[in-house]
This record gives sequence, structure tokens and C-alpha cells, in this order.
Amino acid sequence: MSDPYPGTTFHTDSPDTWHRVHPVSPLVRGWVAVAAVLFIFGRNALDSLFTGRPGAGGPSAGAPPAVIAVVVGAAVVVFGAGFFLSWRFTRYQVTDDHVHINSGVIFRQQRRARIDRVQSIDVVQPLVARAFGLAELKFDVADGGRSAFRLSFLKLDEAKRLRAAILARAAGVAVDPGEPGQVAEAPEQHVLALGPGRIIGATVFSSLSIVTLAVLGAAIALAAWSGEPGVFIGSIPIFLGFGASYWKAITGDYNFRVALSPDGVRLHYGMLETRAQTIPPGRVQAVGISQGPVWRPFGWYRVHVNVAGYGDDRSDHGNRTVLLPAGTIDEVMAVLSLVFPDPGVDNPFEVFAAGLRGPGNRHGFVHSPPSARWIDPFAWRYNAYRATSTALLCRHGVIFRRLEVVPHERTQSLSLRQGPLMAALGLVDFELHSTVGPIKPLVHHVALDAGRRLFDEQAARAATARRIHSAEHWLAPPPPPAGPPPPVESESVETPAPSSAPPHAQENLHGH
Amino acid sequence: MPSPATPPPAVPTGPVPPVPVVPVHASAIDPEGLAFRGVSGRLATLRLIERGLGGLVLFVISALPLVLGLAGAWDGYPAWLAWALPAAVLAVVLWVLALVPRQVRAIGYAERNDDLLLRHGILFHRVMVVPYGRMQYVDVTMGPLERALGLSSVHLHTASPGTNAVLFGVPATEAARLREQLSARGEAKLAGL
Repeated sequence: MSDPYPGTTFHTDSPDTWHRVHPVSPLVRGWVAVAAVLFIFGRNALDSLFTGRPGAGGPSAGAPPAVIAVVVGAAVVVFGAGFFLSWRFTRYQVTDDHVHINSGVIFRQQRRARIDRVQSIDVVQPLVARAFGLAELKFDVADGGRSAFRLSFLKLDEAKRLRAAILARAAGVAVDPGEPGQVAEAPEQHVLALGPGRIIGATVFSSLSIVTLAVLGAAIALAAWSGEPGVFIGSIPIFLGFGASYWKAITGDYNFRVALSPDGVRLHYGMLETRAQTIPPGRVQAVGISQGPVWRPFGWYRVHVNVAGYGDDRSDHGNRTVLLPAGTIDEVMAVLSLVFPDPGVDNPFEVFAAGLRGPGNRHGFVHSPPSARWIDPFAWRYNAYRATSTALLCRHGVIFRRLEVVPHERTQSLSLRQGPLMAALGLVDFELHSTVGPIKPLVHHVALDAGRRLFDEQAARAATARRIHSAEHWLAPPPPPAGPPPPVESESVETPAPSSAPPHAQENLHGH
Repeated sequence: MPSPATPPPAVPTGPVPPVPVVPVHASAIDPEGLAFRGVSGRLATLRLIERGLGGLVLFVISALPLVLGLAGAWDGYPAWLAWALPAAVLAVVLWVLALVPRQVRAIGYAERNDDLLLRHGILFHRVMVVPYGRMQYVDVTMGPLERALGLSSVHLHTASPGTNAVLFGVPATEAARLREQLSARGEAKLAGL
């Protein structure tokens, strides 16, 4: 994992070439069942071997060695045949335009995804797969996280090569006419890493700890009040649950690293199961930066993203949408500059800092009018918005602070809402719809005139931005992680090509 | 791509709208200088039937203790509650039914160059703008009662679940025109995600 990219190339397949996953893969996937069977039979066998007399209670207790051998042999054959068939029937192919995956022995499945619709790619290595040097390649299309395409398992190098090939095709990299099947791999550029102290600290000083302390206090109080230590002992399973949450949070985000490659932003994380997640530029639909009250003294923020393929992210431990689990404001800015290269203002640091800290109208933010005090007595000076030339920034909240950033060209639709109370106070809620994800951008309680103006202007800005950013293929020179990056996709301004056109047409458009 | 059904043979695609432009209920958050087109007045009939039937069921259920009490089958039930409950239900149902015509008049839509505007609500207003280029597909549905009245519902889908853009009570011909129009404009302005 630590070795740099091997400078190899990848050939895309012709329609008749198919590949198989690594033969060990079914074993890696089904190792739990195998281990359970081995454990049961092994224990009985050992029992009778060492004690010299039948073990008590087991189903095969006292069986002669010949029977044990037959049973074990049968298990090996059954598992082996199942694994072999499952391996045999899983095939994949990466052509210039599509990825095909065929799988299933009895219920066959043939899946085909258009490469230019790929939203993100993960290379996942569960613990057992790491032992074999294997990895799972997993990529999402924009269906709200309902189904991911998985190739499990491949050799790590092969998985990386496939990832590079798929991403290069999706980016619309100009194909070298002399070597049409070859794709050079993209080098990675380290941006930042979070130390173990940060991850553990962020977990310990989190809202989870407040809940844990509250439950602990309640348990102690209850035990002291009732004089029964049994009450305290009875609540131990709850604390085991908390312990599991801590363990999951720490091991999940452990060793978090952010890197940049021309393919997109690459996140590496995980202690036992490691994951390398690639989010191509232009696939980030919205960014949310949040901070709870406990983190405020430390100045840490968490950054989430909406990516069309991730959906609500309830599977996979819910941390795929996390772009930065706990970062200082400088780290947040560094990460933001990767996914959002052109903030559209001259002083992005000040503007975003004002967006994260509030309150008031500094740096172009417009907060709710004083009449909103009746609804938001504390937060009215914090709830604010600011439209830059490339994105809309929405700020919320006093205790739990959030900043939501939506690029204009990623706006799906807009709405204004007003209830009777808000109508009486001359307020309106402005809602901006993004794809499925943790971020649901909303500006609370804008003054009526400002809200109507925002609605009209935002619709116009989104229309203009869509015209400029209409190409599906994002290929753009990688912005340097520090300093003002160039605006993306300035080359594709002239033709808003319909995306139903074959990808090659747009590839030529982007030719370098 | 946006329309799942095949178009009927004769689709009025001309610029002339087949529905008269109904002045919809104005609200403070409507964009200025924009004429919204109202939906068919038959939607009020449809909703009156639907909600009237629902209200009738509720009313019958709430009047059950009263009937049982008057018939002498249920003595323990307090008499004031037996009278008050159906009265309250009847009042609410009548209030809801009385609101229907105004609510229907408050539904409106307007086609602009780049996007479609929808509005509805009197007390709780909402104005929504859905860009043509963001539409993933358009659903036109028709229930049995809607079919009898010649109405359709037009549902616009974008990649966001927050876009809850439904137009009820569009006359069938206008729905077909709208679907074709939206599909054509969506095709021309399609902008991926």
C-alpha cells in the first residue's frame, strides 16, 4: 500500500475479452463459514484425539477417524465446488465506454455501466483480503446509492490499474491515436494527513462522549439512590455499545489521508479495513462543514459531501460521505480548495471563516432580519447566506454550526416557502435541492425581498453556470493544492454538447 | 428520454395553450411580472369527491358511538362526547372541503426560457423552480377518477429527492403537450447531474 504507483499501463478490452476475479476471492468472502465449520469439527476431533475418549455432547462425538475424514472431505468438496462455481461464473470486462460485470451461478446477473456516468470509485481492502494482497473495486453510478458495482476481489495492483483506466475514460482523457488502448496511471500528490491523536481526540471529545457521560451519570445516580449496585451492573451492556461505537469511529477514520491525483480527490483511511476512495472533480454536488459545541475550543470541523452515487450512505459505516473527519480551519480550506477549486471570491479564507464562525453581516453574508428574533431568538444573526460568483454559501446555527456550499452548476431546483407566521413577520425560507446525501441546503428566514431576489438571481446563476459546465467529462489540469487554483473546464465553454452524444466527441473537445 | 410513455399520435405542440389562463391566487413570494397558468377547475370536483368520501368515512366512524348510544346498546359512553365528536369531525371536514376551490385556484405553473415554475398553497405558500436541464424524467399519471374527468397528474423528477414537483389536475391534452414540451426542452438543455 505504501509503495508509490507502479508506472504501468492498462489496456482496455475488446468486446470478446473477459477477465475473472482472483481465484481466492470466494474464500476471502466466505471465510467466516469455513472457519465456523473448521472450528466445530476441529474441536471435536481434537477432543477425541487428546482425551482418548469420546467428547461429550457433540454431534459427531466419538466418531471414528474415518467418519471425521469423510465429513471433512465432504465439507471441502461442497465448499470447494461452491467457491469454484462462484468464481467461474464471475467475469468482467472494461471496454472504452462500458464496464460489464457478469455474476451469479443460479440467479445470473449481467450489469453494464456507462463509464462516463461513474460518480466515484473505492478500492476497499477488508482485513482478510489484505492478508492475501487483494482488494475490492467498487464504483457508484448516480442512482442515489442504491446499488454499487463491486468487483471482489482483485490483486491490489490490478484494482488500481482498473481504477485508473475507468477514471481516465470517465474524465474523457484524449486517447493516444497510436496506442488507443493505453491509459497512463495518475500519480498521487499528498495533501494532508490526520495523526492518530487527532482521530482519537475528535472521537473522545464528541457528542458521543456527552451522551456516554450523561448515561454514566444517570446510572451512578440511580445506583446510589436505590442503593442497589445491580442497577449499575445492569447498564454495562449499554456501555459496551458505546465502546463499540468508539472503536468503530476510531478504527474507521484511523490514518486518514487526503491526496490529490488528476483523477480526483483521493481519501485513504481505516485501521483494519482500509479504503481508498476517489471522488472525481465535478462529482461533488454539495459540501457541508459542521462543528459541534465540544469541538469549538479545539477549532475542529467535519466536512461532508454529497456525491450522487453515495446516497444517504447508511451502508459502509456511514463515513463514505466524510471528506475530512476532524480538521482545523486551514485543513478544511485545503480540502475545500480540492473539491471546489474556484470559490468565486478574492478572499476565500475570510469569507469561509465568516461562514463558519458568524455572526453578523461581515464578508458579504446576509443574515435574517430582526423580525426573525421571534422565531430564532439566538440564531437569527447566524442564519445567513452569501452568493459568490461560483457557489451559494448557507450558514446556520449557534450551538451546532454548519456551512453548506453548493456550486451554482450543481443546483437541481429551488423553492421558496412561507407559512402564516413567517408571512406575518415578512420572512421566507429558501430551499436549494441537491442530490441525495447528508447535506440538504436551506437558508432559514430570509427577509421577504432578499429571499425573492435570491430566488430569481439564483435561478439565473444556476442556468448560466449550467451552460458553462455542461460537459460530463471533467478533465482539467490539476489545481495546485496551495494558492489560487485555475477555474475548471474553461475549455468547454463553447459547446453545450448534449450528453447523449458519444463520449469520443467530447474527448476530442478536451484534447490535450 | 425523459418521458417513459410513448406519445399519443396527435400532440398539440403549438405555442397556443389549450387551457384558458386562470388568474391564480397571488401571494407575496411569487416572482414579479410572471403570468402563472392555472390548472383545470375540474380538479376541485375531483378533490371534493375524494375528500368528501374520506370525510364521510371519518364522520360515520366518529358518529358510531352516538348511534349505538341512541339505540341503547352503549350506555357507558358520555353523551356530550357522543355529540361533540361527530360535530367536530363534520366541522373540520366541511372546512377542508370549503378550502378546496381556493387551493385549486392557487396551483399554478409558468414555463420560462430555462425553467418551469410551480406554485401552490394559500396559507403555506411554496414557489419552486425546476430547470429543464435538470429534469431526469417526467411522469404523467391518470387515476380512474382523473380519467373520468379528463385530468392527469404531471410529476417532474430531478436527481434530488427534494424536488417534489407535482402538478395535479392538468387536462389530458395539456399534460401531453407539457410532457412533450418538457422532454424537448430537457433534451436541448440536458446538463448531466
